Amino acid sequence: MRDSGKRAEGGRSSTVSLTVNGSGHDLTLDNRTTLLDALREHLALTGSKKGCDQGACGACTVLVDGRRVVSCLMLAAQCDGREVTTIEGLSPDGVLHPVQEAFVRHDGLQCGYCTPGQVMSAVALLAEGRAGSDQEIREFMSGNVCRCGAYPNIVAAIREVAACDAAV
Amino acid sequence: MTMAEAVPAALGPGVDRVDGRPKVLGAAHYPSDVTLPGMAHAALVRSTIAAGSIVRLDTARAADMLGVLTVITHENAGRLQKGKRNLFFPPPAAPLQDARISYHGQYVAVIVAETRQQAAAAARLIEVTYDRDEPVLTLDDAAASSQSNPYFIDMKRGDAKAAMATAEVTVEGTFTTSPETHNPLGPFTTVAQWHGDTLTVYDSTQNPFHVRAVLAASFGLAEDDVRVLSPYVGGGFGAGLRSWPHTILAALAARVVARPVQLSLTRPEMFTGVGHRPSTMQRLTIAATRDGKLVAIDHEGTSTASMGHEAPTRKPPTRKAPLQSLLKAPDEQPYPITAGTAAAYACPNVAARDKRVRLNIAPIAHMRAPGEAEGNFAIESLLDELSYELGMDPIDLRLRNYAEVQPQTGLPWSSKALRECYTVGAERFGWAQRDPTVGAMRDGRWLVGYGMAGVTFNHYQAKCHARATVHRDGTAHVCSGATDIGTGTYTVMTQLAAEVLGLPVDRVEFELGDTRLPQAPQAGGSGLTTALGSAVHNTCVALVQRVLTLVSDDADSPLRGCTIEDVVAHQGRLQHADDESRGETYSEILGRHGLSELTVDGDSAPSRAEAGVIVGSLVVSRLGRFGRKLVGASHATVPAGGFGARFVEVRVDPELGVLRIARIVSVNDAGRVVNEKLARSQIIGGTVGGIGMAIFEETVRDPDSGRVANATLSDYLIPVNADVPDIDVVFVGGPDPANPIGVKGVGEIGLVGVAAAIANGVYHATGRRIRSLPITIDKLL
Amino acid sequence: MRPFEYIRADDVASAVGLVSSDPKAHYLAGGTTQIDLMLKDGVLEPERLVDITRLPLRGIRRHGDVLHVGALVTMEELAADVTVTEQLPLVREALLGGASTQLRNMATIGGNLLQRTRCRYFRDPTVLSCNKRSPGSGCAAISGAARMHAILGASMHCIAVHASDLCVPLVALDAVAHIQGVGAQRRIPLADLYVLPGDRPDVENVLQHGELLTTIEIPLLPAGTRSGYLKIRDRSSYEFALTSAAVALAIDDGVITHPRVAFGGVGTIPWRSPEAEAVLRGASVNTQTFRAAADAAIHDTFTVTGTAFKVELAKRTLVRILQTLTEAG
Repeated sequence: MRDSGKRAEGGRSSTVSLTVNGSGHDLTLDNRTTLLDALREHLALTGSKKGCDQGACGACTVLVDGRRVVSCLMLAAQCDGREVTTIEGLSPDGVLHPVQEAFVRHDGLQCGYCTPGQVMSAVALLAEGRAGSDQEIREFMSGNVCRCGAYPNIVAAIREVAACDAAV
Repeated sequence: MTMAEAVPAALGPGVDRVDGRPKVLGAAHYPSDVTLPGMAHAALVRSTIAAGSIVRLDTARAADMLGVLTVITHENAGRLQKGKRNLFFPPPAAPLQDARISYHGQYVAVIVAETRQQAAAAARLIEVTYDRDEPVLTLDDAAASSQSNPYFIDMKRGDAKAAMATAEVTVEGTFTTSPETHNPLGPFTTVAQWHGDTLTVYDSTQNPFHVRAVLAASFGLAEDDVRVLSPYVGGGFGAGLRSWPHTILAALAARVVARPVQLSLTRPEMFTGVGHRPSTMQRLTIAATRDGKLVAIDHEGTSTASMGHEAPTRKPPTRKAPLQSLLKAPDEQPYPITAGTAAAYACPNVAARDKRVRLNIAPIAHMRAPGEAEGNFAIESLLDELSYELGMDPIDLRLRNYAEVQPQTGLPWSSKALRECYTVGAERFGWAQRDPTVGAMRDGRWLVGYGMAGVTFNHYQAKCHARATVHRDGTAHVCSGATDIGTGTYTVMTQLAAEVLGLPVDRVEFELGDTRLPQAPQAGGSGLTTALGSAVHNTCVALVQRVLTLVSDDADSPLRGCTIEDVVAHQGRLQHADDESRGETYSEILGRHGLSELTVDGDSAPSRAEAGVIVGSLVVSRLGRFGRKLVGASHATVPAGGFGARFVEVRVDPELGVLRIARIVSVNDAGRVVNEKLARSQIIGGTVGGIGMAIFEETVRDPDSGRVANATLSDYLIPVNADVPDIDVVFVGGPDPANPIGVKGVGEIGLVGVAAAIANGVYHATGRRIRSLPITIDKLL
Repeated sequence: MRPFEYIRADDVASAVGLVSSDPKAHYLAGGTTQIDLMLKDGVLEPERLVDITRLPLRGIRRHGDVLHVGALVTMEELAADVTVTEQLPLVREALLGGASTQLRNMATIGGNLLQRTRCRYFRDPTVLSCNKRSPGSGCAAISGAARMHAILGASMHCIAVHASDLCVPLVALDAVAHIQGVGAQRRIPLADLYVLPGDRPDVENVLQHGELLTTIEIPLLPAGTRSGYLKIRDRSSYEFALTSAAVALAIDDGVITHPRVAFGGVGTIPWRSPEAEAVLRGASVNTQTFRAAADAAIHDTFTVTGTAFKVELAKRTLVRILQTLTEAG
């Protein structure tokens, strides 16, 4: 058994090593800090959004070790040593990822607040091979709530990227 | 210079959202993304009773917590002034001013700490002792005080009662709708920062100038000393039309700790802190002849509201109270439900009345199609009942009573393509394949139902200002202090400016979301595109005129002596309409005159007919036939809002009560559609909101405590992706002459009619008439 | 919530030792609803969190006719398992019918089995009456907004539902939990793990503080068995069940054999129904049989205004899944 990293302040905080979008970060965080708050408040990566902070809306979706998760219901400390990909890591050189491009083209967004989570979820969905039909896309995108109601356009965007992927 | 000549440059169906790129990159900064140096975090404590008063507040434990900077309660908040009178958006009661409690969730303390976690943890340690009164929580509570005609717009024409008595066919019903919570996905957030006696806030709002006015009044500042920034807002749906106590508290907290403070509502706080769609109860009677001619409509709608600024009390209001509260110190938003009834159908006898009941609930807020959505649900459901009663197709029934003129005033509409909405929609949907017999259509275990509804939506336009600048490099900057809550304002205004200035869209930048920019109205009432679009149009026309003035006696200019009628703007160039070769670019003109840029301010205002319709309707209401003559003599035109028709196919599993929406066709007369891609998104979004209203959404309150019992996004159900089928959106009609750009609003109309069309489909499938929303499994078992 | 200590365990024995010796210590696995209860709702206030996610409890292994699933296997991993896909459709359907992909990537099987109720009265500490949170304080849900609440195993003391989908097929399949205590291991059939609330709704299972669920044994169904999970809810996806039913059975010469039936969304614990199984066993395949099984299963209910409809809905849910399974092929 070992403690997580170096404990400070009587064990109320921990040192956490995160690889975020390819860069390593060592952070000393209050143990209460969620992954989402660590990204937003300690790494200034505010692309991941806090919609409900209770795992019910998907706005905070990021990839941890390649899998989509809701970052509001994970402690940052749990992610020590993990690789995190956020919306900012999807197009590091400013060239839009095909999913981002399709969201713009199909107007799969309105207020834009859920959009980073939708995009991250869609990227994962495609990797999971779950974009085989509209019905499948709808079911496996249902963890991302869009209050503006852009769903049909989100489905259209994902469908198009899936078709392009299939054609390659 | 005419519009048509400039169209190709900027318009077209496929213009992508100009703010799409920052949004998909996660680079759009919403108020909750704002971090300022030295920023502290605030958390709120809310009352756990709905009526009564605070006896004791123990803040010692919270104040002692690591990182806590201050605890503010009514005992130390100091005096805050009441916001300026506002009829449509009454300011909130100044928070933390006394010990009285009038709803569950009212703020009783605010804690400021170094970090969000510290503030939230400390907030849990505040102990409050209450003296609890019995709250009034439901419409049918005998102690609830009810006001008749609370908005002074009850309408009538003819004699509905007398006509009912002799009518061949009469249908009636009581319809109820549930309270709903807007739940924009972005939690409302205020970041407040003081510089001496000036205040800057980043705020989640649809109405920045209103927030500015309320903050200025609260702290005794000049409005110019308050700046409200809201370049991106994570959705509104009406929750951001009013100003809210948390915004005032964020500013107060920042002043107390002398540091910037961020106050971000939690999701549960969003259920009590930024308004809700009130519950309604409607009694409706419709009378007709056997052959389907409407002879009378009697419609009474009651909605709930908070106690407002009154003390929580069970004593009935004084007789003077309604007028006083409306005109002198309005403390709740008006919420007329039956206001659209008099305008919907050609029917000689109509009585439409509203009532308001005050309860110990959180303040209400207009939510996408407030009142219109509920009123339409009742009218369009009962017309469906009538169609079965008469054995008449529901579309035929509506066409039979088509309002060729605005029926209350008898004046002509500025434009109306509702008939096309019905016919095009029926065609797209395949309405002809409908077997009208209830329960006749099946697909395996599913009963299939086709339902439809018609929509008449009112027009709204407010005054608006804009500023336009053309730069020597041939780009333009246009701005106004409006907000884009996802509706496409950035994009559409960019297009409208580009259209007039004859510039490609990517040479025009539109800026909004800052009260230092020219004043704009709220993003609400489906009126912003009309108001702001007209302002942008007028301002850009004025800018072209200004450029022409510059060269009016410029011997070197091929445009010398030209008036605006003589030229077209194209590709950054002004040229003679009849000889394209004679012209020059903005760059050339500015360059020659040694100017780096040229700026003009402009505005737009509603026509007099805007208010005239309401006045005229009321005149007819009061003076009957004589009034109608008077109004008719004005030869005015009624500015028409949108019209629409909804066609829905539902599937009901009769054994399990499961209801699914299979497909929807939404046809709308939206005037001139500036950007079809984005307008379509608005209609889709409204439709999804309508699905939520129809089958999922209900804010549930505990019957004893008034606590919102489902204040999370797992417990309060809004549609998810799997709930939303294909939505076929069609636009019909053409430019509406009521405003210079020919548009009608599309922000709300998409929602209206969806609930009735679904309920009508459910009846067609099952023979069950559900008059109470939402239509959930338990109601269909 | 108040600050807490965070410790990452890297072997089972020390994890169990750390939590067992400290009444204020909790395990932390996938996070999800536990983080919600701690940080957002403020219901759980551990002073020490022992993160077990790096413990070697991850594999899915088949031993003969039994599948051994490590407690830290995620819902998505189990749903994707080839044996589950091919032989335990009721388990796969229950897994994929629960939560969202994001949550299923985080949530572990152990955490799913030991999840706390979603009752909003339990989850809101400003509600004073909750026997599960504060024994003896009463139950506010009974007179409140109880639509997502239990009708079986419920009483005036508590109507909180056990919200897991996965547990429904697992109790039907006679799954067994492996429990590690300080120096001792035990095996508990899942059906015996949960405790009816009675007048002590705060006691939810037979585990001692610090005992760690390490593995679930899931017996596989014999070849030729049909099985499925039907979940009824308002939304098409991403919602807890109003009612659900997991069923496995075989049909031999027009007669039902080896029936297994359990309900979700209606019980204070995952609800196995031996009564329904008794009716089905040896009976012929028809809707009357199914209805009789449903009537036998849903009895002695405790309903309040909001939950009354579930009595009929639960019955029809069972009838429908039986119809679907027996009609196919």
